[in-house]
Amino acid sequence: MPVIKELVLEKLSGILIDESKDSSNIVAAGLVSEIVIANDRVFFAISAKKEEKDKFEIVRKKAEEVVKTIPGVNVVRVSLTSHDKSPSDLSRNDNTKKASNKQSVEGIKYIVAVASGKGGVGKSTTAVNLALSFRNLGLSIGILDADIYGPSVPKLLGLKGRPNPGTGKKIQPLNAYGIAAMSMGFLVDEETPMIWRGPMVISAITQMLREVDWGDIDILIVDMPPGTGDVQLTMAQNVPIIGSVIVSTPQDLALIDARKGISMFQKVNIPVLGIIENMSTFICPKCGEASHIFGKEGAMKEAKKSGVPYLGDIPLEIDIRVGSDLGKPIVEFNPGSICSQSYNRIANDIWLKINSSEKLQIVPNIIYEE
Amino acid sequence: MIVNDIFMKIPKDIILSKGKNKIQLIFSDLNKVSLDAEFLRVKSPSAEVRGHGPDDAITVYGKKSVLISKLELVGNYAIRIFFDDNHSTGIYTWNYLDELYKNRDNIWNDYISELRLKKLNRE
Repeated sequence: MPVIKELVLEKLSGILIDESKDSSNIVAAGLVSEIVIANDRVFFAISAKKEEKDKFEIVRKKAEEVVKTIPGVNVVRVSLTSHDKSPSDLSRNDNTKKASNKQSVEGIKYIVAVASGKGGVGKSTTAVNLALSFRNLGLSIGILDADIYGPSVPKLLGLKGRPNPGTGKKIQPLNAYGIAAMSMGFLVDEETPMIWRGPMVISAITQMLREVDWGDIDILIVDMPPGTGDVQLTMAQNVPIIGSVIVSTPQDLALIDARKGISMFQKVNIPVLGIIENMSTFICPKCGEASHIFGKEGAMKEAKKSGVPYLGDIPLEIDIRVGSDLGKPIVEFNPGSICSQSYNRIANDIWLKINSSEKLQIVPNIIYEE
Repeated sequence: MIVNDIFMKIPKDIILSKGKNKIQLIFSDLNKVSLDAEFLRVKSPSAEVRGHGPDDAITVYGKKSVLISKLELVGNYAIRIFFDDNHSTGIYTWNYLDELYKNRDNIWNDYISELRLKKLNRE
């Protein structure tokens, strides 16, 4: 007979922290870790303050006894984990599942990386317009410009000036069109090159992510630099990215690198939410004829080949370019245009994918037997 | 959404044994495997062990009683294992762990022959 977790919890909630009548039970106090059930074995941990270890040893024994009485349970292993935090902190942080998920960024629900592989395919333009489309869905959005050497977000959003120090040690992001933004471009002049080696870049990005007061954000879009190097690896190792979006032109030259980007994300087990084909066609403003300047449907074919979803295309449109250079993104300033509608549709699709991919992500619990 | 088979290789729980000498991986289908600290240590995927090519690879020996002091998740794809001999640069991807326990016997036998050949031992 399979052992049911609820049953274990029910038994455990009969155990009081203290013998005294008004003490709360160990489950309600948030002291019980994630319960692991493997066939007839039950494992879990109870959190105890260091100085209360003796008292909790009694609790631990009791927990073992009551769980053993459940039919089907053969082996019960309960460990005590000690720390010096108050119980309210415990329930928030020390549930083993959450403890292992320590990479998460305060206030941010989901992080999506917009990447390409190749430079110059319109990654940042896409990132910014998607950000606005997400905002149109009623989501609160932030954008982190992870391109230290060539930050484009300030220009695209028409942002100038420096971020202010906020509460505590954190700095305030800038804001444009309701989107919180952080970029190296806010910290140095437009003409100043960043002549940095990898480790400096990593530490700058880590700061821009974690030492910024993002507030409550549904999606943080990370505008990734081209390539598969230091920055990409750091993001993959230290940041809980829910998924990535690959931008490519239909051109073979760009697709080769897009493929590398896809395969990098697959290697580090970050779901690829899909490919966007940017600059897909050029519609002649005079005669209305569509020219496939960079080739036809290259990204769509690539998506099929790599087994990743195809999210749609954005035409090569003069309004996008003009708006980008003026800091007036098309989704904001010409919301009725075909391009804006494409961005909106793609954003909607990505949002649905994020919600379903959340269920796919398994974060293992790390458990120390004591 | 592509669900590649890596999802089957991600453990639900990673348990470091009380004796710190093995880890147990429990998968969502409740399948369990356990890997010894010595085995993980000598087969560390770190460049310190593997080198930057087959010619650089070294044979790690004398790790019979090595223990694991800490486990850390790396992104969505791996764990980093800290051993008590201060080796901590090995990043064990779910794929690599899968390979290790599926081929445990062969890998281990090859390792033992390698030790014998080089006149090294586990102690």
